[in-house]
Amino acid sequence: MGLQAYLILAAVVFCIGLFGVITRRNTIGILLGIELMLNSVNINLVAFARYSGDVTGMVFTVFTICITVTEAALGLAIVILLFRVRRTVTADHLDLLKG
Amino acid sequence: MLTALAPELALFALAVLVLLIGSLRRTGRGPAGWLTLAGLVATFALTFAVPEGTSLLNGSFVQDGLSLFATRLFLGSAALSVLASMTLRQAAFSRRSAEYHFAVIVSVLGMSVLASARELILLFVGFELMSIPLFLLTGFLKRDAVAPEAALKFFLVGTASSAVIVYGMSFVYGVTGSTSLAGIPAAMAEGHPLMMLGMAFLLAGLGFKIAAFPFHMWAPDTYQAASTPFVAWLSVAPKAAGFVAIIRLFVEGVGAAALIWMPAVAVLAGMTMVTGNLMAIPQQNIKRLLAYSGIAHIGYMLVGLAALSSSGVAMMLFYLVAYTFGNMGAFLVVQAVAQSEQSEGIDAYRGLAQRSPLLALAMLIFLLSLGGIPFVAGFWAKLYVFWAAIERGMYGLVFLGAIVTVVALYYYLLVARRMYIEAPERPEPVPVPGLLGAAIAVCVIGVVGMGLYPAPWVTLAMRVASTLFS
Repeated sequence: MGLQAYLILAAVVFCIGLFGVITRRNTIGILLGIELMLNSVNINLVAFARYSGDVTGMVFTVFTICITVTEAALGLAIVILLFRVRRTVTADHLDLLKG
Repeated sequence: MLTALAPELALFALAVLVLLIGSLRRTGRGPAGWLTLAGLVATFALTFAVPEGTSLLNGSFVQDGLSLFATRLFLGSAALSVLASMTLRQAAFSRRSAEYHFAVIVSVLGMSVLASARELILLFVGFELMSIPLFLLTGFLKRDAVAPEAALKFFLVGTASSAVIVYGMSFVYGVTGSTSLAGIPAAMAEGHPLMMLGMAFLLAGLGFKIAAFPFHMWAPDTYQAASTPFVAWLSVAPKAAGFVAIIRLFVEGVGAAALIWMPAVAVLAGMTMVTGNLMAIPQQNIKRLLAYSGIAHIGYMLVGLAALSSSGVAMMLFYLVAYTFGNMGAFLVVQAVAQSEQSEGIDAYRGLAQRSPLLALAMLIFLLSLGGIPFVAGFWAKLYVFWAAIERGMYGLVFLGAIVTVVALYYYLLVARRMYIEAPERPEPVPVPGLLGAAIAVCVIGVVGMGLYPAPWVTLAMRVASTLFS
């Protein structure tokens, strides 16, 4: 398989993630969408690194994975906090702020 | 090497120290807050000892004019915000004072690393180091009904935009074959389609970070719910960081090849100015009003950026400083009034001139500066930005900018009218805590000083920008 195949796979994963972020009503679902978007980046980086024989892309991937984990942890913490205060995690019900 | 890294190392040491103090015993807000303030001011002074133009780690970390300029802006605005936040009354701010200040310092550290990064990984890590504490600080009042909601919205938009940015970075890496930003100009001149795709993703993602249209919706919600002294800082420093990232990626060393982005940035600028100003008109909450006006100001700064010339970027930097003083000042006055009236509505400003003439005068100066009236900082900022755009022949954009500036004056003067013409509901003056008053005074001095004598700031901004185009 060529580089192109991996790039297309990454693009598909990215679009699925983005679609999830836009359409999901449950905030956990939105978080999952963001995770998919970030993972498509890793596919891209590793594919580019593999086909150019350069390790920098792999190093970049390790950094993105670490940061993704941090973000997931913080995101879930905020969702739990929100559930304690408001008893809901549905995006439609989070409407105290608008205008 | 250590002198070049001194501000970053100092911030790191400060962050650890503040966290340690917080874990030792419950000391109230005092020690952590004052230590943070002293540390930020000391680091500000330290930036003047850094030799300008040093490059470390194979050119991936530079301390050039732009990074030092930006770092001073981040440190100065953070110090003002910390000073003002010491007057917050909620118990959480004194009980978890060390956490609050730790997050602020870490975020400043991220911004400072970001401003110096000439390499994709470092840029991304800097960005996240800046953003993650901001999410945390937005939701700091965790028992509050709206703060967690605002934190979640800010977090979702922030991480989704980070994903877009890093997706763009992966293409830039793939095409240039290295993570160094030095490879970008050549690849951009070549016009590889994947490179253009990557840069387009980067522009979109950074648009989220600076809250440009159509990626601006998170700003009003976040500003409304978070604590005001923090918002004063949030509305300026991360935006400045976003602009520095845009300059590093799109402008620095790129030269004439950057001009292909001019139409995109110009459209973004026009739409942002129009949306920000029009959405601000019906707002009844002063923080939301300032949030939308802040979006409009991002549009004006994008006008300077769209010129993609040395003077355009310089004038954008000048605008950033003027906006920092004016906008932070306005938010700090909001804090004083909100604390005494328990209301963030614009009706709380009725008759403020009779109750507290000095506070009303300060607010008027800030509003006039934001509106762009002569002899305060904002006037020169707008004039210079539009001037730079005219030099590039963007008459349409400047015309649009001039029209929406008049629209902006309308809603700024609506607040001024409440302060000066309408009668107060209560006669007693609004109490202003001393530290908050000091922070407001610094902003007034900044706005008026820049307005009466802009020359040194212009010279500084021109010097910083000229190195980017050589």
